Amino acid sequence: MADFLLEAKNVSVTFGSGSTKVEAVKNVSLTLRAGEPIGIVGESGSGKSTLARVLAGLQVPTEGEILFNGESVYKGSKAYTGEARRQVQMVFQDPYGSLNPQLTGLNAVAEAVRIHDKTSKELSEERALQLLRRMGIAELDAIKKPRQLSGGQRQRVSVARALSASPTVLLADEPTSAIDQSAQAQLLNLFRGLLDEGLAIVLVSHDLGVIRYLTKRVYVMKDGVFVESGVTEEIFNDPREEYTKLLLASIPGDLGVAARQKLNKS
Amino acid sequence: MSASNTPLIQVRDVVIGIPHKRRPTLTIVNKANFDINYGEMVGIVGESGSGKTMICRTMIGTLERRGGKILSGDVLFEGESLARASESDWKKLRGKSIGYVPQSALAGPNPVLTIEAQLAEALRNTGDTKNIKSRSKELLELVKIRRVDTVLKQYPYQLSGGMRQRVMIACALATSPKLLIADEPTTGLDVTVQSQIMDLLKEIRSTMGTAIVLISHDLALIDEVCDRVVVMHAGATVEVGSVKELVKPRHPYTIALNSSRIDIAQPGSELVTIKGNAPSVGEWNPGCRFADRCSIVQADCRTGEHPELIGASGTHQTACIHTELLERI
Repeated sequence: MADFLLEAKNVSVTFGSGSTKVEAVKNVSLTLRAGEPIGIVGESGSGKSTLARVLAGLQVPTEGEILFNGESVYKGSKAYTGEARRQVQMVFQDPYGSLNPQLTGLNAVAEAVRIHDKTSKELSEERALQLLRRMGIAELDAIKKPRQLSGGQRQRVSVARALSASPTVLLADEPTSAIDQSAQAQLLNLFRGLLDEGLAIVLVSHDLGVIRYLTKRVYVMKDGVFVESGVTEEIFNDPREEYTKLLLASIPGDLGVAARQKLNKS
Repeated sequence: MSASNTPLIQVRDVVIGIPHKRRPTLTIVNKANFDINYGEMVGIVGESGSGKTMICRTMIGTLERRGGKILSGDVLFEGESLARASESDWKKLRGKSIGYVPQSALAGPNPVLTIEAQLAEALRNTGDTKNIKSRSKELLELVKIRRVDTVLKQYPYQLSGGMRQRVMIACALATSPKLLIADEPTTGLDVTVQSQIMDLLKEIRSTMGTAIVLISHDLALIDEVCDRVVVMHAGATVEVGSVKELVKPRHPYTIALNSSRIDIAQPGSELVTIKGNAPSVGEWNPGCRFADRCSIVQADCRTGEHPELIGASGTHQTACIHTELLERI
């Protein structure tokens, strides 16, 4: 058994070549244990979404490797073969863009269940309803199409779809940035429930409030590298890097006020 | 008109509907009531679909273009009716006395015009066509853009989100408006950029005396930069008060909103959520539209019209008719 469930080893991702070459991720390493909530925080363009895509098996890294249960994830152009495939699932930023507009929530989730479990239509729908109900989507809303649902509901349908594979890792790329505050609270409560059940979550976000609330460890990313990483609480209370201090001081409200006072003192 | 006691903007019992040829008119705001004083920074907060953007459209005269109509009530700008303003009246107001910064900074600027051309267009609006170039530079300096000469020649796609939003703010400020409306100006921008934009808005307010309306669903943000808060739920203003007063909210919806704030939550603790979803437009029940989601709902909450704000304008107003029960929450 490997020490870590998911591990990134010296991963680099480069897009383009020559004068248009962009190094999105530069030699970063990350670890995730089973059932652990970790965060990747950074501004737009920091490379955090690219890294999430690499972890999800959607982007072949230029250098380095991703290990799942100690085994290399990328084999040639293929990623996550066999049983590992269903164990890492991803939820995207824009729930409207990631759901098929033609399918009801129920059908979208049932389709995923059918693909993963290879069961009958009836059984898959039953399981889909269960998953949706757990995500706080009643049957009445489950048979609606994405455009008839609110942003928060759509995002919960996406999560239900990701859970249909019974994953051990959930990668969430900015899951709360397109929904409003009370919907955000609802989604975070659900995430907390999933953590209690042993799911590991990688939360990618620029919202430090959400990171502080949900994660135990955090990686602070800037220009493709991790500038600081460690226990979330320690980083929030005692950031070492100037960049982290600046990020914290930018949070509106009480969280930022404390960080700003510290920043001014130093 | 003197700036003595009349507020800059008075939103009075505004009801907004979307008329339809075959179907009955759909009411989307009923009723909105609040004032904005000169030089004041007011936050409007509410869930998506609560009518915050619609209210703003009444203040910049773009409601009818989007198919909306003020069915009753009025919006007064320095005492003059905006509901009855004609398009030619609007030409004198919009972009002159009232500036607007749209929600999407990325889609805001015209993609095929250089920054210089966009600013020139805004500046010509003032009627004074002299020294456009130097005035453009001043505007960009005002919004703290560095390398002004380079930026003037650039197109929007060459700028970052934060820079684009600064350009939009510069355009809105071209005519030194008395009122600046910023509709979720930092949605989709990074926290560091957000805090810079907020500092900029605060500075504009204090140096130019511009009143600013900030629409957002981020209570923490509004708390930090605004003087007063207007809370909207399902098309109605449910609570109005100063930021200080709102520390002790007097409407169950605001209480719920406040407690769902992530920045004050203990990590890992249960977050308070608001029961159910905001009622959709066209599916409003009689009485208080928050009743189905409220934890202290009483039988009389479900009858009659949606309760109006209680208390005089300028004081801490709430639309809850059972404030005596708030302690139970």
